[in-house]
Amino acid sequence: MYLNNLNPSVKALTILGLVVALALLFDPVTPALFTLCTIAVTFLFGDFRRKYYLFYLIPFTIFAIGMLWTTIAFADAPKNPAETIGLIWWEVPREDVLVALSLSFRVLAFATMSLLFIFTTNMVEFLLSLMQQLRLPPKLAYGIMAGYRFLPMLTTEFRQIRAAHRVRGMGRESRWKRYRRFAVPLLAGAIRKAERTAVAMESKGFTGTRERTFYRNIRVRKKDWLFPAGMGAIFLLLILLSLRFDYFSWYQGQL
Amino acid sequence: MNVQNLSLQYDDMDAPILQNVTFSLGEKECVLLLGASGSGKSTLSRCLTGIYPKELEGTMEGEVTFEGKPVKDAATGTMSRRVGTVFQDPETQFCMLTVEDEVAFGLENICVPSEKMEKRVETALEEVGLLHKKEAAVISLSGGEKQKLALACILAMEPPVIVLDEPTANLDPVATDEFVSLLRSLKELKNITIFVIEHDLDPWIDITDRVLMLGRNGSLFYDGPLQQGVDRYARSLYEEGIAVPGAVRVAMESGRTAPPYPLTARGLAPGLSAPLKAPPHRENGPSLMQASGISYKSIFSNVNVTISEGSFTAITGPNGSGKTTLCRLLAGIDPVSSGRITRPFPDKDWFQHAGYVFQNPEHQFLTDSVWEELAYSGAEDEKIEELLEWCGLTDRKEFHPFTLSQGEKRRLSVATMLVKNQEILFLDEPTFGQDAKSTSRLMNLLEEKHRAGTTIVMITHDMDLVDRYATRVVVMKDRKIGFTGDPDELWNEDLAAFQLKEPFRVRTNRLIKGDMYVPQ
Repeated sequence: MYLNNLNPSVKALTILGLVVALALLFDPVTPALFTLCTIAVTFLFGDFRRKYYLFYLIPFTIFAIGMLWTTIAFADAPKNPAETIGLIWWEVPREDVLVALSLSFRVLAFATMSLLFIFTTNMVEFLLSLMQQLRLPPKLAYGIMAGYRFLPMLTTEFRQIRAAHRVRGMGRESRWKRYRRFAVPLLAGAIRKAERTAVAMESKGFTGTRERTFYRNIRVRKKDWLFPAGMGAIFLLLILLSLRFDYFSWYQGQL
Repeated sequence: MNVQNLSLQYDDMDAPILQNVTFSLGEKECVLLLGASGSGKSTLSRCLTGIYPKELEGTMEGEVTFEGKPVKDAATGTMSRRVGTVFQDPETQFCMLTVEDEVAFGLENICVPSEKMEKRVETALEEVGLLHKKEAAVISLSGGEKQKLALACILAMEPPVIVLDEPTANLDPVATDEFVSLLRSLKELKNITIFVIEHDLDPWIDITDRVLMLGRNGSLFYDGPLQQGVDRYARSLYEEGIAVPGAVRVAMESGRTAPPYPLTARGLAPGLSAPLKAPPHRENGPSLMQASGISYKSIFSNVNVTISEGSFTAITGPNGSGKTTLCRLLAGIDPVSSGRITRPFPDKDWFQHAGYVFQNPEHQFLTDSVWEELAYSGAEDEKIEELLEWCGLTDRKEFHPFTLSQGEKRRLSVATMLVKNQEILFLDEPTFGQDAKSTSRLMNLLEEKHRAGTTIVMITHDMDLVDRYATRVVVMKDRKIGFTGDPDELWNEDLAAFQLKEPFRVRTNRLIKGDMYVPQ
């Protein structure tokens, strides 16, 4: 699918640019529409497990709703207290609702863009692309890669230690003390593993310099520019729409 | 490659770890360096590959030269083209996610042009027989496959010298044999020098051209052909923590004091008048624990096992066959998904009566000293003294558990499980990665406990241990129970189907009877 084959650096930079652009606006409609567009683009051009996408979206939605509520409940004194909106059985100033909605949709827009990236990008390709296009030092990139392999190892190790401690009859102590006891074997194990991996990498000739060739060459092709162009076009269209219907507003320190 | 008067001392240690080590490696030679754990073997391998003295926190004297040029003068990263290393731990020597990326990683480092890489990756994978796994994830490989992959990574870089640092220490016997025979065929095929660092001599006998023996004090005490070395030092090898080949041990025990000692079962058999005696297998008591129709998640279903009172039950089988899962279910560490396990003690104070020794002893340590470790469950001082005496740690009681040696850690972790005079003891591969001396010490302790009436359930790959100590054996295969019964009955089964290796005694006896054809 198009999104999965896209150059990861181009994809990341596009999304970063859009996030900055969105942060400058402050009206509820544009981010709301943009969220919908992002989801549509993700589903149309991405290849991933649909179920998991919804699963990941849920916490962000809850967060957005929570934010909506707190912003309304703890809003500053409104300039026009007379204009109110009825929210079920609750009369709130119109202004506060708009600020709250803008914030919540902004959260959702950022979330869906991040999900677009996460769900359609291969971690290894992203790191390779960062090295090849954006000159990320290999020392850092391969360090991250090795660390990424460590995560599942650490979880299994943690489970082992927890079970081992249970057999020793732990549980009479406070939770804090118990977790402190986990830390020593976990850290000792992690440091030893990290050292071994470092030695192994070094013995395969890894020095951390930029002088290296690549097995997978990741290039920026012409069709990669379609994504920033397309997303930019959608964004501009939404701004034009907001100007046309007169709800456009810059972010001016509301809240 | 030449090593001249190499001495090395770490900053945080009192004595030098290597003393005046001098030897040379010839072209196309296969040299085996024998030494106990902690004798400085791995340190030496780091000196050969030029990692030391660059990364060393300590002092190094003497010189390592490769083709006449000192290794320490080589530019960073260039030594990897000359000396490649396969390390001991299969889990921690990779940094990429897929097999092909991992092999390519080394080639990228030495700036092989992209278009030539694919060919070299494929050739290397083919040489070790992993070409069909080219796109597989590294974590999906078995331990043996991971070590083969590590070898492929090195082969792809085409160095003239390959150093193997206990490459089979974490593999089961069948995978070990496979790895060694792979190396043997590579040695014939390619123009490479192989330097193997090991504490177990047995699997390497056939491929060794020359052997070096490293003592506990860090100096070499022998350099020469294998046979003479064994003849001369057979007795002290054990003291140095090096495993003596089974044939040599039997030959010495049977009163054949004069060298030359036979090195293999094949060499030993003609000299024996009677078959080797089986150890006295004791009776199993009445049933103590019973698992009927137990299942665990999707890992296995409908398994029935009985553990009898006072038995020494060995659980064995290939890697990934579900041994650890079964043991954890029996010990009550993981709850069964369905089925029933009847235990002789109530669940509430089950761990007062049963102990479980995990694969990594460090996981079980809770406190900052050996003494506190034993005192943790509220034992009395006399009991602690007695246990310290029993596991030979009396003079270490103030030490932090993490600073003990591998063997000591293991013994301590067993001792902590016996503080309450536990009646049942589960052990997950307690002899893995230990040198010969600490293995036999641990097994003696377990045997002693067993004789005193403790029921022991032990996971192991080592068929010689099963043959010698177990009263009952459970073989797992493909997450099912493939066999249960007396070890002697097991030796008559088709062991290869279980991916097991015959114990030395049985192999020798078969050769005496002459009903097995062994190709030269």
